[in-house]
Amino acid sequence: MATFALKLIAPTRVLFEGRASLVIAVTTEGEEGILAGHAPFVGALKPGVLRAEVSDESGSRRLELATDDGFIQALPDRVTVLVERALSIEEIDIEATRTELSTATDPAAIAFAEAKLRLARSA
Amino acid sequence: MASVKDLRDQIRSLKNTQQITKAMKQVAAAKIRRAETAQKQARPYADTLGEMLRELVAAVSRVDHPFMNPGNSSAPSGMILMTADKGLCGAFNANVIRQGEAFLREHPGTTMYSVGVKARQAVRRLGGGEHPSWPLNAASKLDAAREVAKAASTAFVEGKISEIVLVSSKMLSMLVQRPQTQRLVPIARDGIAGETGGSGPKAMVEFAPTPEAVLSQLLPKYLEFTIFSAMLETDAAFFAAQLVAMNNATDNAGKLIDEYTIQMNNARQAAITKELLEIVGGAEALNG
Repeated sequence: MATFALKLIAPTRVLFEGRASLVIAVTTEGEEGILAGHAPFVGALKPGVLRAEVSDESGSRRLELATDDGFIQALPDRVTVLVERALSIEEIDIEATRTELSTATDPAAIAFAEAKLRLARSA
Repeated sequence: MASVKDLRDQIRSLKNTQQITKAMKQVAAAKIRRAETAQKQARPYADTLGEMLRELVAAVSRVDHPFMNPGNSSAPSGMILMTADKGLCGAFNANVIRQGEAFLREHPGTTMYSVGVKARQAVRRLGGGEHPSWPLNAASKLDAAREVAKAASTAFVEGKISEIVLVSSKMLSMLVQRPQTQRLVPIARDGIAGETGGSGPKAMVEFAPTPEAVLSQLLPKYLEFTIFSAMLETDAAFFAAQLVAMNNATDNAGKLIDEYTIQMNNARQAAITKELLEIVGGAEALNG
């Protein structure tokens, strides 16, 4: 399957850099699946679960991250995703997230907490 | 001439000082490395954000976002003064503060925000009174930068200030840090478009939902991140300035120690000579 260069960048670190064959991101308009050769595209992301079929030195795998809001830029040969925060399943503390969800008042914080739980449940 | 004992005490105290400055120098050297790593880690995000912004600005014909429109011209300016939290770094903080004062003279009545303990003290002294302030060494610089951006941009959007200006330190090299004043908001369209002259493809780009909507989400992030980058740069520049200052202090202490050691030896020698003369004089008198 055709692949493209994928970069996932958070403000203080690069989360992933390598090849990918598919990225599914939650934009403000709904889920957007991106394959190699996608037309140039820039979108705003909302909190949700980002999925990607990636391959790096450690082989092919599926990458799933709960992400906060951000941006995605797709070009035919590369895709760049900027996210404020991103957590993998192992990094999510379900109990802490539940309390966070019940106490949070900020809609953005609630959406991110929900995204974390959604990812945790899907596992 | 000072007594041998006085000089010896003086030298001992200088040696203690030298030990402290030498230790601070080594600490600063280690911390620069950490600050530079933090800066390096933030760069990919900043670069990509800038690139997206340029593409967006190129794609839209007219931008209707408060950040890109001129502010309320009858309101005073807003200035974010950014320094380090601590001193012992030569003129590093003073230079930035002086630049801030110069801006204040040209724009009286400016609303002030401060990042860094030294900046907070300076703003109070300059008549800013109680004002929104944040320490530079916050637990999370990114969160602090977000708060700063939010406070300043809210005031701007509400028309309480006409522009947001950042006065901070630019690190030109390990030896040279220069204060700089930059206007963050309103964002000049030419400033963004002209930054690199379009390295990315100029093909038709599709935006979801619309270029304007993406842009209005991206601009606040851009402001936050510019402030965050400035904080990281100030941090690195502070340790570089401290390294130089502590290096000079160690050298100066060394010079003083050498000087006092010579004086002490001279004084000791003079005392011995005097004593010898007295003994010889006394013996001569007895032999009379």
